[in-house]
Amino acid sequence: MNERRTSVPSEAAQLPALTQFLQEFWSAAALPPAQALSFELALEEIFMNVVMHGSHPGTVPRVEVSLVLTDGDVTMTLEDDGPEFDPLSLPRPDVEASLGDRPIGGLGVFLVRQMMDAVSYQRVGARNQLRMSKRIEGPEERADSPSATDGRLA
Amino acid sequence: MLLIAQGRLDFGAADEFQRQLEQALAGAGASPAMLIVDCAALDYVSSAGLRTFLLAAKTAQRAGIGFALCALQPAVREVFDVSGFSRIMAVLADRASALAQAPQPPA
Repeated sequence: MNERRTSVPSEAAQLPALTQFLQEFWSAAALPPAQALSFELALEEIFMNVVMHGSHPGTVPRVEVSLVLTDGDVTMTLEDDGPEFDPLSLPRPDVEASLGDRPIGGLGVFLVRQMMDAVSYQRVGARNQLRMSKRIEGPEERADSPSATDGRLA
Repeated sequence: MLLIAQGRLDFGAADEFQRQLEQALAGAGASPAMLIVDCAALDYVSSAGLRTFLLAAKTAQRAGIGFALCALQPAVREVFDVSGFSRIMAVLADRASALAQAPQPPA
């Protein structure tokens, strides 16, 4: 089992460090690089959600991120000590709306739910805990590989 | 008018890219008025990046400017598909078909 854990203040400037933390976990566990992107996305969306909305005035919560690989499943958990908030309670955006009717924003948590196999929220003591997991396919199971000409026209 | 999107379009990069989109749209007045965003080198997009594309598509629609994206990498394409953006914006296979098609602003 591979496991890593880190903790940062909930400030936007910490996002690159968290992304690097995820990428280091990914390469240490020898996981297929292309499949890191859905976790990078989930990490950014949930972390930025805490940064933008998750603090009492005048305080900066801490966010703890853990990553675990067990039997081909990666589980990422974000915990913060900000005010109680369940991001899964946010309304689902209308992805069928026309361009003129599409509101700006409200997509982040929706994307996470779509890109992960399972997402759950719990209030644990004074902390918000969001757990996300997804099965990672081995390289031999990947059906598509980018063709040499795709998108490379001069 | 052609704009190249590249690298990671995350929260930290979104403001600068939005400025580039706005500038490109302001300069896209020549006939046919059109902005193509080439995404061949775009490796990653989050909701902060999607937001910039949505703002640009709305601005283009109001101004009667054609707006199209092309050459999305599979992982970026997935984010556009899941969010429904590939239905409300012209997302084309490559730059050549974007130029050939010169699509009308989506309704």
